[in-house]
Amino acid sequence: MSREQTETMMESQVNPEDVLLEVKGLKKHFPIRGGFLRRVVGQVKAVDGIDFYVKKGETLGLVGESGCGKSTTGRTIIRLYDPTEGEVIFNDPDMGQVHIEELDSKGLRKVRQNMQMIFQDPFSSLDPRMTVGRIIGEPLLINGVAKGRRLRERVAELLTVVGLRPDHASRYPHAFSGGQRQRIGIARALALNPKFLICDEPVSALDVSVQAQVLNLLEDLQTQFDLTYLFIAHDLSVVEHISDRVAVMYVGYLVEMAPVERLYYNPKMPYTEALLASIPKPDPRNRARPVRLPGDVPSPANPPSGCYFHPRCQYAQDICKVERPPLRLVGPDHWAACHFADELNLKGVPRLGESAVLRTPSAASTIQVRGRRVTSEQTGDGEARTEQPQQPPRPPQQ
Amino acid sequence: MAETIPSAQSTEIRPTGEDNVIEVLDLHVHFFTTLGVVRALNGVTFKIPRGRVLGVVGESGSGKSVTGFSIMQLVQHPGKIVKGQILLKARKDDQPINILKYDRHSQQMRNIRGNEVGMIFQEPMTSLNPSYTVGNQIQEAILLHQTPDKDEAWRRTVDILRRVGMPNPERIARSYPHELSGGMRQRAMIAMALSCTPSLLIADEPTTALDVTTEAQILDLMRELQKDIGMSIMFITHNMGVVAQMCDEVVVMYLGRIVERASVEEIFYDPKHPYTVALLRSIPRIGLSKGEKLEVIKGGVPDSYSTVTGCPFHPRCPNFMPGICDKVMPAETPIEGNPHHTVRCHLYPGSAAEAEVETSGLAPGTAPAAS
Repeated sequence: MSREQTETMMESQVNPEDVLLEVKGLKKHFPIRGGFLRRVVGQVKAVDGIDFYVKKGETLGLVGESGCGKSTTGRTIIRLYDPTEGEVIFNDPDMGQVHIEELDSKGLRKVRQNMQMIFQDPFSSLDPRMTVGRIIGEPLLINGVAKGRRLRERVAELLTVVGLRPDHASRYPHAFSGGQRQRIGIARALALNPKFLICDEPVSALDVSVQAQVLNLLEDLQTQFDLTYLFIAHDLSVVEHISDRVAVMYVGYLVEMAPVERLYYNPKMPYTEALLASIPKPDPRNRARPVRLPGDVPSPANPPSGCYFHPRCQYAQDICKVERPPLRLVGPDHWAACHFADELNLKGVPRLGESAVLRTPSAASTIQVRGRRVTSEQTGDGEARTEQPQQPPRPPQQ
Repeated sequence: MAETIPSAQSTEIRPTGEDNVIEVLDLHVHFFTTLGVVRALNGVTFKIPRGRVLGVVGESGSGKSVTGFSIMQLVQHPGKIVKGQILLKARKDDQPINILKYDRHSQQMRNIRGNEVGMIFQEPMTSLNPSYTVGNQIQEAILLHQTPDKDEAWRRTVDILRRVGMPNPERIARSYPHELSGGMRQRAMIAMALSCTPSLLIADEPTTALDVTTEAQILDLMRELQKDIGMSIMFITHNMGVVAQMCDEVVVMYLGRIVERASVEEIFYDPKHPYTVALLRSIPRIGLSKGEKLEVIKGGVPDSYSTVTGCPFHPRCPNFMPGICDKVMPAETPIEGNPHHTVRCHLYPGSAAEAEVETSGLAPGTAPAAS
């Protein structure tokens, strides 16, 4: 099947009015230079022809191992890299349909008001010599949206929105923890009221408890400001939590894309199965590891023949070594690039229920308070609360 | 050296009848910075039985890594081990020795480091020397500890690289770190740590920088090797999934103290300390958390220069009881008489029985009565 066919089929799956971003045949190759004259001796095909769309208001998760091209995809969409080939069509609320790959710097500045990025490393993505107020205010100044008092007010408002205090504006980034810095990065991205945010591993540098805070914040902001996310991450449980649909990348190609439920419970591509099986399950009673993926990710400068995954695939047949399978429709809104997607019966993550860790009353709802059992009320969201005893059981002696 | 001055009690060695590879007793590590003293460890006590895997979990700044570095006596200036004992019993029939008696630069300490106790560091990228081949770096440890014969050492180097699952180990041994992928570098680190078959392996976030698929391979490998060699592992991590998959016992650390210790089953199925509960609930779980808010622990880990009176977790605790949690440091309490499951929390009876009182910064009159 040709790419054009894939494209038309994709269009048939969704109402064009709902599409905020459409990527068609996007390629980004980086030249490898070598030898005396620094001639181009090869190409790193970081992204090699991918098609997908993002619907308004949804979160599309983009996952894959390091080096698969997921960050390059994000950066090419917002034109931090110029694409080698392909189209990126953004449905700008002000400008209508724009081809981002054709825009000049003036057009880019305009479109980037509606399309912003949150970066991975909260330590290197903030200028250490600018106050937080200036960092967040800069996009407003540059675009001439606000200045003076209006600017300060807007910065204060943004800080409040991301859960910081307005007086933090006068401090420098070094005074903040990782989670707080990531909030600053989010505030900066939100400054111009964008519609679309590319989140490039926004929580992978954070501690688990802080990660939960930032994920919740991103979800709140999505509802509050009607945002659409492209959420790039390698942590599959984080992606499952936040995404509506998930796309899996492998060595520059999209190998599977489906609504999150389908992808996690009913994958159609052996690579997705292997990825899901590799997640260490937070359950000591379930230590089985069914599929162990051998070897490493192939280099995008020198990929294998046929299906790029075939050297590591336990289901590989002769055809996989010769012919690269196209991304095709294998179920409702479920795309997979595998010759045997229809025949294979792949395992997703086990349906939970059996591993009843937490969320169950045993965890904390009945906590023995100094000999007295206090039964907590099980609130609707499964949160267990322990009643505060009327008096501190052992008041310190005065 | 000042950091090895044994305190009054650390000169006596308390033999427990058990066969523990390492016993850390009341370890205190402070960092004397220009801005003040950072109390990184405030009395950490744990032991690792032979052949077992202990998980050490906690957020950044909880003192997990410092604990590992202390055992190796690699705590860097301005950090100092100010109190405590670390008893190492490398072989089953050895007498336990307090390694803090040795100067960190002494020959005895060098014999332990890398030989009896191996360590895998967090970042394979920065922990390997870029200007030597991988084989050179592994061989160095073998030459130092095991055999003076270079050919023999090289043979063992290639052998250990083969054991950690490297394809074509001869070629890898002659490669430089930059020629290897992240997973391969981490394997090389593991090979280096295992080259002298240590009795204790300290793994400091060995898979944090890796992809899930590589992580799965490395964990598999470590489990296999642990079974073969019979070593004990101290597994420092903040990934609860890894803990569940790898560890036999778990200690949860918060601000330089162990707040809960239990078997891995109990930590996951019956956690007691509000911090452990919160930590477990804040991880997104596939299938469980969809469409729901993640539970968060409010606030962040407090500034390391400040001291919190009472229980260090009380400002973030959902079960905070005013008047006690902010005044009295809870003691380690066994849960329902089970000495293998202990918790430091006032929610459980007996926690204040021998409560340690914060000696500094406590207003007079607020000291609790010890009953």
